[in-house]
Amino acid sequence: MGRFAKTLELKGIPTVGAAAETMVNYGIDYDFKYTNGMPIRYVAFPFPVAGQPPEVHKRYVEGEDRLSHKPMMTAIVDALTKPLTKNETFKGVPPEARPEPRLLPKDTEANMQRLFKDKDWTDYNPIILPTEDRVAAMLEGTSRKPEEVVATISWPGGDRKLTVEKAAIAAVMAGARPEFMPLILAVATRVPFGNSTSSMANMIVVNGPIRNELGMNSGTNAMGPHNEANAVIGRVFTLLSKTVGNLHSGKTTFSTLGSNLQYNNLTIAENEELLPEGWQPLHVQMGFKPEDSVVTIGIGWTYISSVGEVQIGYPPHNLMRDYMHALSSSGSAATIVMDPTVAKLLKDVHGFQKKEDLSAWLSGNVEKTVASYWGNGVVSTVNSAMALQGLEPLATWLKAPPDTLIKPFNNPKSIQILAVGGNIQTTWFVTDFRLGRGVKVDDWR
Amino acid sequence: MRGNLVNKRLLITGLTALSVAVGLSGNVIAADQDVVTVMNPIVESKMAERLPLSPRLDTLSGKTLYLVDINWGGPQAAWSVYEQMEAWMAAHMSDVKVVRKRLAASYMVDDPALWDEVVKNGDAAIIGIAG
Repeated sequence: MGRFAKTLELKGIPTVGAAAETMVNYGIDYDFKYTNGMPIRYVAFPFPVAGQPPEVHKRYVEGEDRLSHKPMMTAIVDALTKPLTKNETFKGVPPEARPEPRLLPKDTEANMQRLFKDKDWTDYNPIILPTEDRVAAMLEGTSRKPEEVVATISWPGGDRKLTVEKAAIAAVMAGARPEFMPLILAVATRVPFGNSTSSMANMIVVNGPIRNELGMNSGTNAMGPHNEANAVIGRVFTLLSKTVGNLHSGKTTFSTLGSNLQYNNLTIAENEELLPEGWQPLHVQMGFKPEDSVVTIGIGWTYISSVGEVQIGYPPHNLMRDYMHALSSSGSAATIVMDPTVAKLLKDVHGFQKKEDLSAWLSGNVEKTVASYWGNGVVSTVNSAMALQGLEPLATWLKAPPDTLIKPFNNPKSIQILAVGGNIQTTWFVTDFRLGRGVKVDDWR
Repeated sequence: MRGNLVNKRLLITGLTALSVAVGLSGNVIAADQDVVTVMNPIVESKMAERLPLSPRLDTLSGKTLYLVDINWGGPQAAWSVYEQMEAWMAAHMSDVKVVRKRLAASYMVDDPALWDEVVKNGDAAIIGIAG
């Protein structure tokens, strides 16, 4: 929002930014310093704004600006008419950021462990301290130079350079082995983790030979805390998000509930070996070769388990359809994670010859009411304006009576299918994760 | 006074004998404690170039004020607040023309056509409501 206010100010239009009291300090502090550079004048409304009836909004307007403590409308008029202060007319290139030293001052191991926690550089589980020797050993796992920039992180603002060396530091902290480095660097290209007031999470899916090279678990307990590579690589993503990504609760991330999934980011390998014939691994569906090693990172919120065995009287795809009613369908996105036995049943008994057949079936059969669809805040925030402009099918869905059934997963290509698990139970999860474009791990060897 | 001086000398002597250092945590480290050198996991953040606000209006009287909804929280969040603002303006500052507009898409998507409209037809704006 600050960037839009900045755009108008640059065009000579005095502008006031309006935010809820929960967010306004980010606008006047971090966003101003590291992103916007312009001291936008804000007013702060009580929280929440969405979901309140008009009479509450009337009270907000007739009430107090939570920032200046003036009457709200007085604060707005003042912000548009009171002369600028000296600070508000300042123009200039900021001083060069003081470089962070490569090494921290010497201290005892106990004090260092305490320091890393006090600085919020960890997930509050114990870390291995990144000494020079340990980081040098970690860098042996890649041919890439330590100073090479893997990604520049500008959200939240600050254009921080995530180098190979910084990735290696986080890898040491998390307990990684040097051979994990190519995969860690590929994952690092997608740092930081999901940062939304709606409390997002991530999913990290690994395909190709790297799974077996690193001993990743795609079988029994693949989604649990039972494998070194799965555990550690997911943890590195979080540590990098907090260190180089600079995501700190209440300062740069405001997820209202947060997500426990961020401890590991649902890091899994697909059980390619047990896919039914004709069902391609995720990376091959994306156009990579089977012999490529690829990591794919998704963003979402939640998953729902089938809980028990598949029943012949009500086939699994029917129950998946039912459970997908509960997902937001934001971006038509879903990822179904199923034990290989479920995949085999779906193919052999129910005729889904390839993953795409199941995606298409779900796309054509999951229904929900328009009231439920628009009742989701993310869907409403992202899509309602386009609906009001007439973009179909959103416009029709917005005008339809509340009980009208629609098919909100209208893009089957956004419904991904993964086989994960150990052939122990015919269990599956439907999730709302939207998978992005895969990253080739081999480029980071 | 003399007592304080003696105490300071004793303290300095004592510290020298222990050969102490002060670590990053601010704790005193004795020479016989093992210390480690650790690499810094963080990176400096680059500050944004500072830019001034545009000059303020002398008055809103006779001016056009745009209320821009960034669609955060859906179509009945800021929009409803803006309806109340428009009613307040009609009651208390009736010579201010109020125009309510929405971004064309979500708050994550720029809308240059709307900014052009505000510049062409407006004098001031409110943008929100985030959060």
